[in-house]
Amino acid sequence: MRARDLAEPFPVVHLDTPALEATRLLVDQSLPGLVVADRQGVPLVILPSSQVLRFALPEYVEEDRTLASVYSESDADRFAQTLRGRTVEELMPSKQFLPRRHADRPIIPPDATLMEIAAVMAEQHSPVVAVVEHGEILGVITVHRLLGAALSTT
Amino acid sequence: MISLTAAALVATETAPGSEHSASTLVTVLAVAVFVGTYVVIATEWVHRVAAALGGAALMVVIGATDANTAFFAEETAIDWNVILLLLGMMIIVGILKQTGLFEYLAIWAAKRARGRPFAILVMLCTITAVASALLPNVTTVMLVAPVTLLVCDRLRVRPEGFLIALVMASNIGGTATLIGDPPNLIIASRGDLSFNDFLINLTPLIVIAFLAFVLLSRWLFRRSFTYDPERAEAVMRIDERRAIRDPPLLRRSLTVLALVMLGFVFPSAVGLEPSLVALLGAGLLVMVSRTATAEYLEEVEWPTLVFFMGLFVMVGALVNVGVIGSVGEAAIDAVGDNYLLAATGLLFGSAALSAIVDNIPYVATVAPLVNDLVDAAEGAAGAQALWWALALGADLGGNATAVGASANVVVLGIAERNGYPISFWRFTRYGIVVAAVTVALAWPYLYLRYYAF
Repeated sequence: MRARDLAEPFPVVHLDTPALEATRLLVDQSLPGLVVADRQGVPLVILPSSQVLRFALPEYVEEDRTLASVYSESDADRFAQTLRGRTVEELMPSKQFLPRRHADRPIIPPDATLMEIAAVMAEQHSPVVAVVEHGEILGVITVHRLLGAALSTT
Repeated sequence: MISLTAAALVATETAPGSEHSASTLVTVLAVAVFVGTYVVIATEWVHRVAAALGGAALMVVIGATDANTAFFAEETAIDWNVILLLLGMMIIVGILKQTGLFEYLAIWAAKRARGRPFAILVMLCTITAVASALLPNVTTVMLVAPVTLLVCDRLRVRPEGFLIALVMASNIGGTATLIGDPPNLIIASRGDLSFNDFLINLTPLIVIAFLAFVLLSRWLFRRSFTYDPERAEAVMRIDERRAIRDPPLLRRSLTVLALVMLGFVFPSAVGLEPSLVALLGAGLLVMVSRTATAEYLEEVEWPTLVFFMGLFVMVGALVNVGVIGSVGEAAIDAVGDNYLLAATGLLFGSAALSAIVDNIPYVATVAPLVNDLVDAAEGAAGAQALWWALALGADLGGNATAVGASANVVVLGIAERNGYPISFWRFTRYGIVVAAVTVALAWPYLYLRYYAF
């Protein structure tokens, strides 16, 4: 089995997509993460949902977990408000963590085997990889789909 | 350290450089290594820890120091009192941090200020200044900065002014005591000065300087003080009591901290060096808190401790080859008995230098010189106060630029991660004013107290 056999359509967000809209997409479609494309439309990075959650939290709460406890219930309920007015670009990890080389991007060629797909996912701690041919996205493969395919053959 | 030790072992066999046999060549080489290392530290071409260890290693290789000189000799070795006092205090802070005490105090203060920004700034700066006098500055600002960001976020005011004010309060407060700021540790150890000497001689001025700083901050950070009753209400909704997750741990920690402070203040009753008091306190706190090893060692800044060791080995090597002694003699001749002039020079010179280079290597180098001056005076009036001029200049000068003190660098890092980058020049614009005013206040204090009458 090859990557092209597993690829499924998947929404792609862009750097200027509003953060709130992207998060809503994640929730409504139960996605494991967001595929963020660069200005040429090539997937640049995958934001796993846990990462999106981290960016909704204020940085100072991440640095000092005690502070998560001091909010009143009503204020704590509204923690996702920090996403308002921000774009996906602002949720991205800082520049130094972005893939510098093409090989570090969460993308695989259509002829990748299951083992190769698994290796890329594991290395990049990503629940999703994109299948790209000649700069165009054919679809994505989720961990769920990959493991399902792997189990069906054992 | 391993390579350093190994190099030292090799060197003891080949080059036993002792005080009187040091050749001119070794002396020249030692000065070259020393100056070169300082240039590298000041310009940050390589990490300061690597620079200090590299410098120490070169001192060994050229034969300017050996294992006995570097590790054991009273005058030249690594000052274990300084290293271990810091280690003890870092362990205490590591446990104290888990109690939520600082978050509690900061939020409590913000609520007592009823959400008015300037009152909040004054309260937070006061807490920071007092905590910095008792605990290492870097840790104090790391504990207070996140909760300050939370309060500013609730108030919808920009936090940059608050963060800059906090770190300045920390540097000013840290000047007050022996344990407040690392330069003071070095000064205390070299000058054989007690905790109470610092309390009696420095704390009164620091109280005045802090009040001046508060007045100044009303004007400096005036743009941060917009009051909005609705936002103040958002501050009042924060529940500080929930920050204290483990009340028994808090009670135990505060008890041990109080014991440690008593140990510092009553050395004659306890009969122990401050370093031992801190280590015993740290050990006791580890025992009663039952913290896991990895947890209580988490706040220990090993790079800082290793940096100190490297510096001490380098400065010890200079003492060993006789450079510090010669410069000290020249200084004694130049000063004569005009200690007021010497104190003035030390105060302003130290402030200017500490603004540009890290004040720790500066004080580590100058302290043996001041020691020579004070010893040569044989108890003459005004000589002892040279130590206070050095401490005030070096500590308060650290406020002047973004790189003047380690706490400045730490707070700028926190600000940047939270999306409020503060540029070097922005910090320095405020820092120059605060450093100039506090150092300028220190001079009449020194003059009136030690030289006028």
